[in-house]
Amino acid sequence: MSENLVLHTLRCIGFADLGRVAEACGLEESDVESHLIDLAVDGFVTRQRGEFGGWGLTEPGKDEDARRTAGELDEAGARSAVAGAYQQFRELNPELLDLSTAWHMRTVDGVARVNDHADSAYDARVVARFGDLDRRAEPVCADLAAALPRFRRYRVRLAAALDRARGGDLKFLADDMNSYHGVWFQLHEDLLATLGIPR
Amino acid sequence: MIHDLPADLPADLIGAKAHGLNELMRLGLPVPPGFVISTAACRAFLRDGRLPDELPPQAGRVSVRSGAAVSMPGMMDTVLDVEPDQVRSAIAAVFSSWNSPRAVTYRELHAIPHDLGTAVIVQAMVYGDRDQHSGSGVAFSRDPSTGAPVVFGEVLFGRRGIDVVSGSHATRPVTDLAEREPAVWAALESALGRLERHYRDVCQVEFTFESGRLWFLQVRPGGLVGRAAIRVAVDLVDEGLIDRGTAVQRVSAGDVRAARTPRLRTDVDLLARGQGASPGVAAGRIAVTADQAVRMAADGPVVLVRPHTSPLDMHGLAAAAGVVTSLGGPASHAAVVARAMGKPAVVAAPLTVDLQADCVRANDRSVPEGTLIAVDGTGGEVVLGDPGTTTAAEDPHLSRLLAWMNADLR
Repeated sequence: MSENLVLHTLRCIGFADLGRVAEACGLEESDVESHLIDLAVDGFVTRQRGEFGGWGLTEPGKDEDARRTAGELDEAGARSAVAGAYQQFRELNPELLDLSTAWHMRTVDGVARVNDHADSAYDARVVARFGDLDRRAEPVCADLAAALPRFRRYRVRLAAALDRARGGDLKFLADDMNSYHGVWFQLHEDLLATLGIPR
Repeated sequence: MIHDLPADLPADLIGAKAHGLNELMRLGLPVPPGFVISTAACRAFLRDGRLPDELPPQAGRVSVRSGAAVSMPGMMDTVLDVEPDQVRSAIAAVFSSWNSPRAVTYRELHAIPHDLGTAVIVQAMVYGDRDQHSGSGVAFSRDPSTGAPVVFGEVLFGRRGIDVVSGSHATRPVTDLAEREPAVWAALESALGRLERHYRDVCQVEFTFESGRLWFLQVRPGGLVGRAAIRVAVDLVDEGLIDRGTAVQRVSAGDVRAARTPRLRTDVDLLARGQGASPGVAAGRIAVTADQAVRMAADGPVVLVRPHTSPLDMHGLAAAAGVVTSLGGPASHAAVVARAMGKPAVVAAPLTVDLQADCVRANDRSVPEGTLIAVDGTGGEVVLGDPGTTTAAEDPHLSRLLAWMNADLR
């Protein structure tokens, strides 16, 4: 049910404006907004105004999501498949963090400095390693999508981020909410939330 | 392919770690007995899957550690506390970890050839968790953040070295040894002095003490960067250990560039020092949750102080001028996001965030939310108040070194 999806997406992406929730869900903004309003009436989500505001979960909303997500997982009989995929994900995760660090920082003459992206050969090596990691992440995403269809969206979003980065829009590696790193991190949060593992 | 330690052979054959162990032993410093299997054996193993036929007999339990010629910190396996009959499989595991995807990525990014292989060091185990007079630590002969001539580092009492490196336990300053294990402290201090005179450079060691007896597991000379590297080079000239030409050679253009990054003043009330994870300086009032950071940011700059951050804290990270976390390393979520947003960040800071009391605790002090602090994302300092920044022009060590450089050019 798409209301569950909206609630759970907000659980995984954190505070976000309507556009970002809709993008992460893969739903129309108008549908998402109507679900958010229903969820707000129930006290599960709240909207903060101001420059850094947006939609976010309340504490009861977090509990409600945990309840619904656990129910969904058991109903689908998918707990062991998701737990298995999570183990594979955990092996890949340090690499993603290494690569994000390598994208931001460079050691030149033994001094770690902010990568000014003046050395296109270095940047190309980092992008190539993101591609290599992505090839190995693909079967993990496929296992998750087979276990629970809502995980399908991550493959689409990760591939889109990598395509945009390869196309020259380099902020889509690790410098944007919808960058490869950003989507990866939401997947990480999703796996923890789905399996009920505290961070 | 198998050499007892000390093994007087080049580092490309026995690796940098075994090379350091040689130097320690030659200086008469205590190193657990062991042997090293060369990088040639690793290359042979990776080619045809065969280990050397004969290994020296082991009397008891051992550690099996990687040690490449070029340091690749944290990228390869270490197997601790191995039964003698499992040593061969542990060596095979360490050799195989040369080709783990993380290690391959590291070499790609640092332009290290893929065909070098790693050496493996097999040493008698020493136990930092043996009893209450045991522990592990790392120590620098000088402060790696400032270059000041004081022994600096961290220690864990009653724990193994792995617990120090993993960040899973709160460490104590290494100077605590002076009171709790004075003999270990005296031996450590004197060894660091001897190593500095030997290498004519600042040194870093890993050590374990077992039932009051000190053992060294690794030494690395140098490795300081930026202003710290400059201060050490100039001080070593004053101490007569190196000449001015050597000092000028030792300092890289990168160090001089880094020394020009504005830094927090050093005459400050230091709350904690973690690892600098995103360069720059920021000051603001402490917020201990992302929601609070957003609310408080309306009235002026805020520094978000958290155990760690997750995507759920994004709005707080966006609202904050700087970020401090007590857990996680330079590749943690907080560090990556802070760099993406161009904000100063300090990670692995030795402090605790008390969400019940809305305060931050560090060094037996309690600092409430709303207190003004400043962070330096280069050196990892978190200080009370806003002391402002220093510029390179005010650094006497840098001025002297630049004068020597200019004299050299004429």
